[in-house]
Amino acid sequence: MVEGLALEAIGVSKRYGSREALCGVDLIVRPGQLHGLLGPNGAGKTTLMRILLGLVRRDAGTVRLLGSRLDSTAGPVPDGVAGFVETPAFYPYLSARKNLALLARLDGNAKSRRSDNVDEILEHIGLAPHADIAVAGYSAGMRQRLGLAAALLRSPWLLFLDEPTSSLDPGGARDVRALARRLADAGAAVVWSSHDMAEVEELCATLTVINRGQVIFCGAIDELRDLAPAAVHALHTSDDRAALDLASRRPGVKVSSDSDGSLEVSADTEGLDAYVIALGQAGIAVRALESRVRSLESLFIEITGHAESEAHVSAPHATADLAPPASPVVS
Amino acid sequence: MSPRGLCAAAGVEWSKLVAQLKARIVLAACVVGPFVFAAAMRVQSSVPSDTLFGRSVTESGFAVPLVVLGFAALWVFPVVTSIVGGDIFSAEDRYGTWGTVLTRSRTRAEIFAGKVLTALCFSSAAVVALALSSVAAGLLVIGPQPLIDLSGILLPPDEALVRVALAWASVLPPAFAFTALAVLASVATRNSAAGIGLPVVAGLTMQLSTLVDGPDAIRRLLPTSAFGAWHGLLTEPSYYGPTLHGTIVSGLYLVVCLAVAYRMLLRSDIGG
Repeated sequence: MVEGLALEAIGVSKRYGSREALCGVDLIVRPGQLHGLLGPNGAGKTTLMRILLGLVRRDAGTVRLLGSRLDSTAGPVPDGVAGFVETPAFYPYLSARKNLALLARLDGNAKSRRSDNVDEILEHIGLAPHADIAVAGYSAGMRQRLGLAAALLRSPWLLFLDEPTSSLDPGGARDVRALARRLADAGAAVVWSSHDMAEVEELCATLTVINRGQVIFCGAIDELRDLAPAAVHALHTSDDRAALDLASRRPGVKVSSDSDGSLEVSADTEGLDAYVIALGQAGIAVRALESRVRSLESLFIEITGHAESEAHVSAPHATADLAPPASPVVS
Repeated sequence: MSPRGLCAAAGVEWSKLVAQLKARIVLAACVVGPFVFAAAMRVQSSVPSDTLFGRSVTESGFAVPLVVLGFAALWVFPVVTSIVGGDIFSAEDRYGTWGTVLTRSRTRAEIFAGKVLTALCFSSAAVVALALSSVAAGLLVIGPQPLIDLSGILLPPDEALVRVALAWASVLPPAFAFTALAVLASVATRNSAAGIGLPVVAGLTMQLSTLVDGPDAIRRLLPTSAFGAWHGLLTEPSYYGPTLHGTIVSGLYLVVCLAVAYRMLLRSDIGG
């Protein structure tokens, strides 16, 4: 078990030429925390992860991993720190078993322990049946699993995972999320970088949102949820003009005409219910009402300014406790 | 940098190297090539008379490794030493594995030293394989007859064998210099084709520059000059000046190229 902070990054900055990739980013993660790192593509998440793993030199700031100061790119990654950035890569002409054995050797594991560790982790990660096949023949999902295996080989107390489920099938993604939870339950700190709000929301209790190289939110998911705007719904009625007029007299409900011919309604659940009832009482038929974006996602889009949403905002990610189902509730 | 860390890094690099087909092909070619050459000399009537010891190639088996050495110094060593040295760093860029290797418990210095050590060991292995194979080919295919040296003195077989061994040993320093040049090209370009190709082109250019009239000082500063320094070891009396000078020049190339390459690796951002 780790004492103190698992990760303490203060004022991390990085500049590529005239472009500021990171500007004074702070990131603090405690043992046992599953911390989400969220941001649209190009926000600086991957650069930050690379800096934290010693792959990229920072221009400013200090980084402490499990209490050890990270000496930019010269020093080794401290024992107990592991992870991968983007798609993990391995030597394609070697088998998974051989790749892991070589990495274990780089980690300084004794020869007698190496083989047992590798076998155990391959079994655990579900790659044992394919362990002796050259990695060149692996699918992207298998490589991602192997990346996780390589990280687990270091018995991590601080684990950095960058889009770890991006190439996995739903079952594999569920397994990886369960594994991350188990590690966190055992006291490890896990930094889970993603641009998928739903995944981070499901998995992490705390998160940091980065946009254009700056932290724009850091705290508990619940705090973010409190800031979340009302959910947005598309509404089709028998008389849109009257529906708009009715909304203008109801506080807490914002309705505007949308380009697709529907009305866009922004309101919390109670406000929306009351508005729909009022529409019925006014003789205005509700022909369709469907969720457009989930509340946290809409906040994410709002605070990152990515209306085009490089983050996943599609309805299939919706979870019952946070948003209404994507299908029309009235039709 | 700890010795344990260096051993781990070098061991990993060597394991990766021996698993690659190209390394095995190069070493196999170094072993087989001299036998093919000796057999060809044995069956054909003409000899490479425009090459040092070419006239003696059918008269003494000790001439075979010296003819092979003369040819290898021109064409083979820059290629053989670059095949591994020029690829050992850039292969990590090609496979995208820097992020995998550098997130383990080894410093960049240890990884660098392990790779350089492996490249130098491979260059040594190739030179030694070529040397042993050409001596074996000469003795088995032609025979252990005495060798006439460059002063016209007849060297008995045991003395000829010592001279041949010294001649081959003298090309190790420039072979290391070319390995270092390849390492630098590999780190600087992060491209294997450039890492292998640039030292070969540089070697060829250096060889050509020695054929045209130019300042002697410049010629003496080229590591290719050291590839011909063994001529002085096959005269009576032997002179070691060019060998010593070539070793110093090669050592300078080695140190400067590796220092620059290390600094570049240390300062490079991986995937940034």
